[in-house]
Amino acid sequence: MSTELPESAVPPPTGAGESSPAPTRRTFIATSTAVGGAVVAGGVIGGTSFIGPEEATAADGPPSSRVSLTVNGTRRTVTADNRTSLLDLLREHFGLTGSKKGCNAGACGACTVLVDGHRVNACLTLAVRLEGTEVTTIEGLATRGELHPLQQAFIDEDAFQCGYCTPGQILSGVGCIQEGHTDSPEEIREWMSGNICRCGCYVKIVRAVESTAGRK
Amino acid sequence: MSPQPQAAVGAPLSRVDGRLKVTGKAVYAAEHDVDGAVHAVIVDASIGRGRITSVDTGDAEKHPGVLRVISHRNAPKLPYRDNAGSNNPPGRRLRVFQDDRVLFHGQPVAVVVATTLEAAQHGASLVKVRYDAEKSSTDLHEAEPGRPTDYARGDAEAGLRSSAVRLDLTYQLARNHHNPMEPHATIARWDGDKLTVWDKTQWVMGTHDELAAVFDLPAESVRVINPFVGGGFGSGLRCWPHTVVAALAARETKRPVKLVLSRKQMYFGAGFRPSYEYRLRLGSDRRGRLAAAVHDIDAETSSYETFTEAVMGAGQMLYSMPNVSQAYRQVPLDVNTPIWMRGPGFASASFVIESAMDELAHELGIDPIELRRRNEPREDESSNLPFSTRQLRECYTVGAREFGWQARSSRPRARREGDWLIGLGMAAGVYDCGRFPAEARARLDADGTAVVEAATSDMGPGTYTSQTQVAADALGLSMRTVTFRLGDSLYPPTSPHGGSATMASVGSAVVDACDQVRQQAIKLAVEDRESPLYRVDAGDVVVRGGRLHVQGNPARGETYRSLLARNDRSHLEARGNYAGAPSPARRSYFAYNATFAEVAVDAALGLVRVRRMLGVYDAGRIISPKLADSQALGGIVGGIGTALLEHTVTDHRDGRIVNANLADYLVPVNADVPEVRAIYLDGEDNDGNALGVKGLGEVVQVGVAAAIGNAVFNATGRRVRELPITAEALL
Repeated sequence: MSTELPESAVPPPTGAGESSPAPTRRTFIATSTAVGGAVVAGGVIGGTSFIGPEEATAADGPPSSRVSLTVNGTRRTVTADNRTSLLDLLREHFGLTGSKKGCNAGACGACTVLVDGHRVNACLTLAVRLEGTEVTTIEGLATRGELHPLQQAFIDEDAFQCGYCTPGQILSGVGCIQEGHTDSPEEIREWMSGNICRCGCYVKIVRAVESTAGRK
Repeated sequence: MSPQPQAAVGAPLSRVDGRLKVTGKAVYAAEHDVDGAVHAVIVDASIGRGRITSVDTGDAEKHPGVLRVISHRNAPKLPYRDNAGSNNPPGRRLRVFQDDRVLFHGQPVAVVVATTLEAAQHGASLVKVRYDAEKSSTDLHEAEPGRPTDYARGDAEAGLRSSAVRLDLTYQLARNHHNPMEPHATIARWDGDKLTVWDKTQWVMGTHDELAAVFDLPAESVRVINPFVGGGFGSGLRCWPHTVVAALAARETKRPVKLVLSRKQMYFGAGFRPSYEYRLRLGSDRRGRLAAAVHDIDAETSSYETFTEAVMGAGQMLYSMPNVSQAYRQVPLDVNTPIWMRGPGFASASFVIESAMDELAHELGIDPIELRRRNEPREDESSNLPFSTRQLRECYTVGAREFGWQARSSRPRARREGDWLIGLGMAAGVYDCGRFPAEARARLDADGTAVVEAATSDMGPGTYTSQTQVAADALGLSMRTVTFRLGDSLYPPTSPHGGSATMASVGSAVVDACDQVRQQAIKLAVEDRESPLYRVDAGDVVVRGGRLHVQGNPARGETYRSLLARNDRSHLEARGNYAGAPSPARRSYFAYNATFAEVAVDAALGLVRVRRMLGVYDAGRIISPKLADSQALGGIVGGIGTALLEHTVTDHRDGRIVNANLADYLVPVNADVPEVRAIYLDGEDNDGNALGVKGLGEVVQVGVAAAIGNAVFNATGRRVRELPITAEALL
């Protein structure tokens, strides 16, 4: 892969007459992702642009890329700002606010979703990397109004209080069960430790995962 | 009036909002779909104290998508009216962008508003602020304390001098941050001169009143909405600066503005449980009868507000002793202002008192539970009032039996399993549960369903569910025909959702409103010639499943629906009221617990693992047992954090918090929490509330840290007087 930056992917100008500053971590991520992404584009090209027309023009828009992914069974093609995380794509642009932002740094698990069946922290995943993937969020877990067994188990065991970490816990639990890390409460506790519940419902989360795994 | 049958109250029901929460449809503050909302990101001060000398916004303003950068250079003057009755502590509250002063590291110095979140975040990184920095003071141990708040009974110094056994112990308690999983967030929208905010708050009316004061708006021009709160633990008990910033940014840009604090900003954008240095001197006779205690208590506060919490209460009334003196001194520092955190004051004091009791028990060779029993007071010695209810002895008895306390060796380091030293510990807990004024509205519709409303919150304990239970029984309806609404300042006002007060306070107002509606219906029936209940004594009528009937004669009666239809009434409605705690107090009203812990400590590495815990609670009547159980387990988990993990670390060179994230500020995760169990004792406490409740959200965390610390001592023989108890301290 070339490490040359196409002109269109260079970060926005920092002001005429000023020497270019050292790249910050954020501009580095923005530019390197543009190169690594499937499509490098200047400004907005086609698709469902979620940048308002008056703010996004080819001349002054942020580096962005077109990406097609399937979310909860629906295929979506968008032009995303290269800096946009999967979590922000879901929450701010698709209106899927069931995935939660707790820390935006991969430390709390509130944003856990399934990408191609594997649990990932959506806050650490850049949206433009997800070309061709299938994403499942909490909104896509129930089928035709019938709750996923783990959703029902969370209600039955009272495995949540405030509910903010709950979507991430449930998707992490679905992943944990699929991975087969449910042979004992100790194993579940270990493999569910990437999801913080500040209300402290861990005992009941383990019960819910254990009972759901046992039904399979 | 016949007592209503209690079908829902006391039943182990699942949450009424459970389905919304497991499907991602519960809508939290930043998730409301407000048309045209743009994004705001705050720029934080990067010095600990000083003045702003320049704000260069050029690069930020040129960044695509950035609409506006606001700082003290261009912000309008805001009225900041006084707000009496608020949770703002004495002092002068932080006024955003009103001058060039920096009072603490992280103080908001500018805000960037942009069309996308990405542009706002990047824009904030491009704002260049220059400062004239002064030396900041953030170390509790280095700064000068303020004037003390004193308490005294008897002569504590003399009592100590004449005591056969004296202990002189100093404890250090780390600063803790609430860290609710949902970050604080606000969406603000102006419609002309009217302001609507969707805000993470535990006090809808408090945020409402503060915004009205800051912007000098009439009360009816402000509306605050928050149907779901993603955890609080106290962090939402006052209106923080960022809420004002969001409203200001919305007014300046003439766009709805969404502002979400980053996790890092949560460490200085909202309050915290202050750190303490707490010296306790304790004197007793050889049989363990306490004679005197002297408490010297220093706690953090900010330079601009004096934060107070109930850290003196437990030392005055938990145990019987003739001589007590206390001095509680707040130490002003260049930090943001603290706020109450779960079990405020009591949780901090109980670590000290309950650790010291364990030390005394060891010194005297008396079982820790027996020592506590020997000092059980007959009345509240701080107020000389009788206890409304106090089942602390029963908590000890049940806890000791259920936990297997008799297996504990009084000799430390007596039990070893491979590399692990095993120890058992216990502590007592107490909390002064709040009872605050509240109102509620109940409406029974012609279709036989009811809606009950109050401007309270549900940060997780299950207000939606438990208030529905209370309302359903008072109206004689099934759970599914009653809807309880909260989280909107248009509903009848309530006091803060905190201090374990919501059930007693809002619940009493809900009962009052529903009782009135039910009585209106009964009156309508007994005066209606066409009703089967015509001329029945109103006091003999009960309602069950939406049907009014004569008590003891279910056949004679009719439904709400038929009654309202025949009388051509679309609905019946009433407003209920609760005045708050009885004044003057006639009884001493506290919740209690005994908490037990078993820990394993790696003899070589100092690692502490909690193996099992039990809490036994005297919390009055339990309205919603399934949810109360969760709340207790959660309180224990919070206490595990305080005991072993949680510590906000400040770099005293410039006041920067170095672990302002969830990877370095450790909170308990699933692997930290094995077997945990809660037992609520039967009982009612009707002091000042008809529901018989005492409140339980706070007391469940009080004493947990001491129980763990005492278990660590039992395991290792090492007494750690500093929280959190880390491996380093045990090596």
